[in-house]
Amino acid sequence: MSSQFKQLEKLGNGTYATVYKGLNKTTGVYVALKEVKLDSEEGTPSTAIREISLMKELKHDNIVRLYDVIHTENKLTLVFEYMDNDLKKYMDSHTVGNTPAGLEMHLVKYFQWQLLEGLAFCHENKILHRDLKPQNLLINKRGQLKLGDFGLARAFGIPVNTFSSEVVTLWYRAPDVLMGSRTYTTSIDIWSCGCILAEMITGKPLFPGTNDEEQLKLIFDTMGTPSEASWPAVTQLPKYAASAQSFQQHPHAGKDMKQLLQAHCKETVDDVVINLLHGLLQLNPDMRLSAKQALHHTWFAEYYQRS
Amino acid sequence: MSAGFDMELILSRPYLTRKQITRAQRNTIPDLRVYTQKKLQVLKYLSDLCVYMLLPRRTLETTIYYYDRYHLFNVFETEMVYPLATACLLLSCKQTETIKKLNEICITSFRVRKVPNVTTEMVEALRKRTLQLELRILEACSFDYRINNFLHIDECIVKAGKKISCSKEVCYTAWLIAYDVLKTDIMLVIPQHSIAVAVLKVAEDLLKTNNTAWNQDIYAELSTDIKSVSEAYFEVVNFYINMFDSCELRRNFVAPPSGPAPEITLKSFIDLKQEAGPEHGLDEVSNEMVDRDRLLAVDMHSQTVRERRHVLSRSLVIEEQKSLH
Repeated sequence: MSSQFKQLEKLGNGTYATVYKGLNKTTGVYVALKEVKLDSEEGTPSTAIREISLMKELKHDNIVRLYDVIHTENKLTLVFEYMDNDLKKYMDSHTVGNTPAGLEMHLVKYFQWQLLEGLAFCHENKILHRDLKPQNLLINKRGQLKLGDFGLARAFGIPVNTFSSEVVTLWYRAPDVLMGSRTYTTSIDIWSCGCILAEMITGKPLFPGTNDEEQLKLIFDTMGTPSEASWPAVTQLPKYAASAQSFQQHPHAGKDMKQLLQAHCKETVDDVVINLLHGLLQLNPDMRLSAKQALHHTWFAEYYQRS
Repeated sequence: MSAGFDMELILSRPYLTRKQITRAQRNTIPDLRVYTQKKLQVLKYLSDLCVYMLLPRRTLETTIYYYDRYHLFNVFETEMVYPLATACLLLSCKQTETIKKLNEICITSFRVRKVPNVTTEMVEALRKRTLQLELRILEACSFDYRINNFLHIDECIVKAGKKISCSKEVCYTAWLIAYDVLKTDIMLVIPQHSIAVAVLKVAEDLLKTNNTAWNQDIYAELSTDIKSVSEAYFEVVNFYINMFDSCELRRNFVAPPSGPAPEITLKSFIDLKQEAGPEHGLDEVSNEMVDRDRLLAVDMHSQTVRERRHVLSRSLVIEEQKSLH
């Protein structure tokens, strides 16, 4: 396809592109070649434009690098840093028999640390990822984890408002977004980080809903039901009334997260990680930790004390 | 960029100096006066389109950047300006996240140009032409979206104005001037935040507020420098001196109720220029460097080039160069 890059095997289909492994024939470095499908109706996909514009700005050890953009007669190819695997596939390969098993706790911690490092950098640079999920977290053989697929990401400034509510894959979508909030900010990514942390521990998605209603039900079943006291202005959210019908008559405080996770984890799930998880999975977005605060959580003491 | 290559590696350079721009335009714009006149029509057309489709100033600003940038590497053709401006707007909508359907843009394009008896074939033809041009615009920008991404002149005017405590009148006047700035090609030379600072300075000088002590510290606080601001300052002042009759500021300026309430005339700008002293701004490159600059002579439509790789980082180019030797 390119005189500079040899196209190797297909790695997968992205939101708006097909991804191949490639080899830079000059430097011998492996790359990921993302071939953008040019839309016959709307031209260059805005997702590709977003990805190019945001990723070229973001140079960080925990964010996949975009090296260059190749333009041939009728094709656009984005050349990314190559990563061996993604977290979803990696977790899928960790099974006991046919049952998914969580990752070793030290690995969970290392991955979560890197995820938060990359995310803190995005947020510092005023970029929301908006689609964090294990498939978009790329890993390599050295245990490095990097944020990829910025097709839904966007820059934010002040004030932050009227963003699309159709962002973040359902399982990792924050309750405020599910209830129609369009004024979300960095907290949307933090919720996803909490879901991913729990999933790495147990090997199972925390809230695997199949539609918005079920997704909210699963969240409230586990995390408790919201009220004006715990989450001021929740009742003002566009879809609150519809979703509240199911829980208003039976408000409850939620389940014991430690017990829930321990049931699917061989190692001991300690209170410290549960405390972090609660900080990430606050229903009220204003109460969620920031990525930077999460990095300073006691659970990560061994990392920040070392650095 | 020899014809012998079948692949070109192009390092993105979103900003060029005046000399570099002049050299590039020498290959693409046969008569600069015609280009400038046509651009005024294009700006009017795009402004109408934006008003009609409720698009913000940042979308218009980005569109104009694309329009000027395109003409650094592609020949200016008078009959192409409307499809090209439409393609620039389509791309700008995507870039600034003010998405509009291409069909809607095309239909509105005919409407604001008051084209009679528009048929679906005409809309379809414009749509196809727009899509072809979109890729050429992207190529002229080396697919580099670092600019036009976070910074926009009007938003920077508000932010910088607040930071240095400019009055509402100064910010409003600066905002009016920022529209006229789109008639120049200064966005090809200076980043938008520096233009915003220069425009604020022009507005303060015009209104004689003496609010800000324009010194190194202020420029540093606003993440810019005196050379960039001076370059933009003189560009703006020269624009008004040369084209005062066709400026928007003259038509829309409202004198502040308090203060010296100056009237803005052509003489105001001549005075500003006199007070500012000899023109100064960014350092220029030598003629020899311009002569050697292969980007300025690149033929984007060369049939012998099979592919172009656009990179942002010089280190990547050096790395490949090392590997070759």
